[in-house]
Amino acid sequence: MSDQSDAAAKARDGYMEKYGQAPADADHATLLKMIEDHFADGLTTQVEPFPETDREFAKILDRLRTMSADQLRDKLVESGWLLEPYGEDQMRCQECMYYLVHRRWCDLPELNLPAEPDWYCRLWRI
Amino acid sequence: MANLLWLQGGACSGNTMSFLNAEEPSACDLVTDFGINVLWQPSLGLELGDDVKAILEKCISGEIKLDIFVFEGTVIDAPNGTGEWNRFCNRPMKEWVKELSDAADFVVAIGDCATWGGIPANAPNPTNSKGLQFLKRDKGGALGAGFTAKSGLPVINIPGCPAHPDWVTQILVAVATGRAGDLTLDEFQRPKTFFSSFTQTGCTRNMHFAYKVSTTAFGQRKGCLFYDLGCRGPMTHSPCNRILWNRQSSKTRAGMPCLGCTEPEFPFFDLAPGTVFKTQTVMGVPKDMPEGVDKKGYIKLTAAAKGAAPAWAEEDIFVV
Repeated sequence: MSDQSDAAAKARDGYMEKYGQAPADADHATLLKMIEDHFADGLTTQVEPFPETDREFAKILDRLRTMSADQLRDKLVESGWLLEPYGEDQMRCQECMYYLVHRRWCDLPELNLPAEPDWYCRLWRI
Repeated sequence: MANLLWLQGGACSGNTMSFLNAEEPSACDLVTDFGINVLWQPSLGLELGDDVKAILEKCISGEIKLDIFVFEGTVIDAPNGTGEWNRFCNRPMKEWVKELSDAADFVVAIGDCATWGGIPANAPNPTNSKGLQFLKRDKGGALGAGFTAKSGLPVINIPGCPAHPDWVTQILVAVATGRAGDLTLDEFQRPKTFFSSFTQTGCTRNMHFAYKVSTTAFGQRKGCLFYDLGCRGPMTHSPCNRILWNRQSSKTRAGMPCLGCTEPEFPFFDLAPGTVFKTQTVMGVPKDMPEGVDKKGYIKLTAAAKGAAPAWAEEDIFVV
C-alpha cells in the first residue's frame, strides 16, 4: 500500500473507533461533530499563507486531491479551516462562493464538507 | 448585384466553416435572395491557380467592381516585414490584402485573427501576425489606423473564434443591400447591433449568477460559471445567448465557460498555465469584475445575494 493509502486507512480506523462511522460515510451532523471535536481537541490548521494567486490556490487543491474523504483531519489542516471568521475583513463561509447557504455545505469538490456560516478556510473566494 | 471576394490569411478556416453553417440567412440565401455574387471563396471557389490570380488582378484594376472584400485570418508580416511566410498567387498575401482593401467599397474582417490578431498574435507572435486594422487593442494593424474603404467606412470587424455564422451573413446582407449606413460601430469597429450587450445577456445561468451560486465542476447544470471556472460572460460583448448557436444553445448553456473570444485581448492572460477555465483572483476576489461593477460594490452585492438566495438556487432545477 502507498503512504496515502496507509494514511487513509489509519484515519478511517480512528474515526470508526470513535464514532462508529468513517467520514466518507458519515451524515451531515456526524461530520459537523467530527470537525468540531477536532478543534475542541486543540487542532491547529494552516491558515496562512492565504493563496494570493490562482497558482498558489491550485497547489493547495492539488494536495487536497491526494487525500481521501476519510482523511478529514488532514483536509482541515491543509485548507486552513477555522471555526470563526478570519482577517481584517472577517472573511467567512457565508460569503464564500463555494458555500451553499441552505445546505450549509462547502461545495468545493476537494473539500465537500458541512460548514457553518461563520466558519472560514483559506480557500475562501467570492 | 454585389461582388464579394473572400480570402484567408493566417487562418484555420474556422470562420469559413461557421459561415457555411449559417441559417438566417444561409450562405445560399446570400446568392439567391440578396444578390451577392461570390467572386471567389477558398472553400467555394471553382477557380485554381492563375484563374484566381486573374480575378484578384481584375478587382484591383477595377475591371471587376469589388463591392465587399472579406478577410479571414491574420495578416502575416514575418519574416522581417516581408510577409513571405504567407504567400498566395505568387505574392505575399499582405500585398493582396492592401491592394484589394484599397479597391473595395467595404472591407469586412471575419473572426478574431482578421480583426485583432487572435491566437496567432499571442506572445511571442512568431509570424508577426496582425488584424486588418487592430493588433489586440491597439489601432493600426495591417492597413493602418486611418484606413477607410471607398465607402468611407473603416474595416467592419466581426470578431469571434469563430464568428457566429448569422452575424456574418446578416452584416453581409446589410452591406450588399445598401443598408451599411444603418450600421453603427463601437470603438473596436464591431457592429453595435451585435456587440453592445453581453454574452451573459440571456444566459440560463443568470439566476445562479444573481444568487452567487457557483458551478464547481464541468458538466454541472446548476451554478454560474463566472465564479470559479473562468467564464467571461459578464464582461464580453457578444449576443451568444440571444442569437443561439445552431439555433439551439450556447457555450454557457451547455456548461462551457465563455472565453471572451469577441474581445481584443482574447486569448486572455497569454494562455499562461492555470488561466484557462479558472477565474483569476487576487486575495479571493476576481481580477476581472462584471463590466461596470467595482470591487467594493461586488463584495457588498455578494453578501446581500448570499443572504437572500433561495434554496432552489442551490439545486439542479433542470432535473425533473
